[in-house]
Amino acid sequence: MVAPARATLRADRLRAVNEPRLVAVELNADGLPMAIRRSKENSGGQETTAAVVEAILESWRIDDEWWRHPITRRYFEVLLEGGGRVVLFVDLVSGEWYVQTA
Amino acid sequence: MPQRPTSSLAACVWIPLFPLRCEEARREGLATHPTALLAPDLSRKLWQVSPLARHAGVRPGMTVSQAIGLCPTLRLCEPDPVHYDGCFARLLSALNEISPVIEAGELGLAYVGTDGMEGIFGSPGEIVDAIECVVRGAWCVRLGWARGKFASWVAASRAKPGEAVIVSSGGEVKFLASQPIAVLPLDPDTHRRLRQLGIRTLGVLAALPEEAVTAQFGAVGRRLWRLAAGHTVEPVVGGVAPEPIVAALTFFTPVGERDLLERALDQLIARALKDPRRIGWRVQAVRLVAEVEGGRSWLADLLLKDPTADAARIAAPLKTRLEQAPPAGAITRLVLELTAFAPGTTELQLFARDAVAAARAGQRRALESAAREIQLRLKRTCLYHVIEVQPWSRLPERRYALIDFEP
Repeated sequence: MVAPARATLRADRLRAVNEPRLVAVELNADGLPMAIRRSKENSGGQETTAAVVEAILESWRIDDEWWRHPITRRYFEVLLEGGGRVVLFVDLVSGEWYVQTA
Repeated sequence: MPQRPTSSLAACVWIPLFPLRCEEARREGLATHPTALLAPDLSRKLWQVSPLARHAGVRPGMTVSQAIGLCPTLRLCEPDPVHYDGCFARLLSALNEISPVIEAGELGLAYVGTDGMEGIFGSPGEIVDAIECVVRGAWCVRLGWARGKFASWVAASRAKPGEAVIVSSGGEVKFLASQPIAVLPLDPDTHRRLRQLGIRTLGVLAALPEEAVTAQFGAVGRRLWRLAAGHTVEPVVGGVAPEPIVAALTFFTPVGERDLLERALDQLIARALKDPRRIGWRVQAVRLVAEVEGGRSWLADLLLKDPTADAARIAAPLKTRLEQAPPAGAITRLVLELTAFAPGTTELQLFARDAVAAARAGQRRALESAAREIQLRLKRTCLYHVIEVQPWSRLPERRYALIDFEP
């Protein structure tokens, strides 16, 4: 957390931290992530690179706000080839994949 | 030990939400928005809430996320206790021009002893006008005048902002009888019990036998009954300004270097400020005397712009004097005298000694200065606060939010 400072805070200028980012994920036959596709910088989204998932370290599910707009996510903490750790989730309502720091 | 001056006739000067008013005074436009002040501790809960924010349902003690949920346009201010304390000390100094008997309560509450002031100002109304004159420019105060501190406080609490309620001598009992029991210094439990017994006003409480109230509520009940019945008249108790405080340093070999002299001066100021007689007082005037080689001497007599208990603020003008008009020769002995004092507050002493608060204030100033620099260079704010929104949420993006940091 940033050290507190004596400035006026405006609640109307709040911006969320850690919003999920849409990613393309290649799945295996069991529907588990196999690779993550990312756009190359300065390519305008034309070129992509794939980061291969070496192992799934953990998986959990979140069901929330069923009384309003149901949110159902399955999270995967994965180890990428080369050592990076990434948290992915699939929105079980829309079927889209996202990357997020859990 | 000299006897402290007292006064049974009291004028109560009350500025509700004083810290919040201090913030509004130094930030243009803040008063027109719903505003809340965060607590000076690390709880990150609301401490004081402006009437506009209260109207939106925001209450002291709420968390930031609760408050923002209720009032999205709420402006939150980080507390600056050292600043509030300085403002309050200036208020006390201004009141000191009217009467030598000043008693500080909590921040924003002070009692002025007015015994014998009829000869100077005239009627109680004129005394109150004189008090209003010295504080009016800066603050919208509520004033109460009565015999005893309690009745004067109740009168001030009944006054509208910028107005005064005067309780004429002999009219205290009648005035107090119609007041709600909430004006008594009650803990929540006693307040609840009194209400459960159907006691809503001081008059109803005072109508009960004193013994019955004492039997039910003990010594606290007896005190409350006596206050409600107007039997207790607590006088305003002023402080006695201490005699000059002196600290001296003799050099084994005469010193001419300014660095060494400044270091010696810092030591003397620190020693003088630690003197127990200084507790509760801010330094108003200071004198530095130097004995110079060859039997000559050097003197700097300074009146500080704002009374202070801060060593650096006392040292700064003396160091400037040492630089601009140095002694004509090496110094053999340096004597510092704190010669005049202005009343301080209990809070002042707490804050002045509170190293954590002082350090936080220093960090804030440094951060604000850095943020201004960045804003000047990059033309936009690149610094943010991280605030808790729903830290308990299972959805990571809901837990925290960023907000622009504007110094």
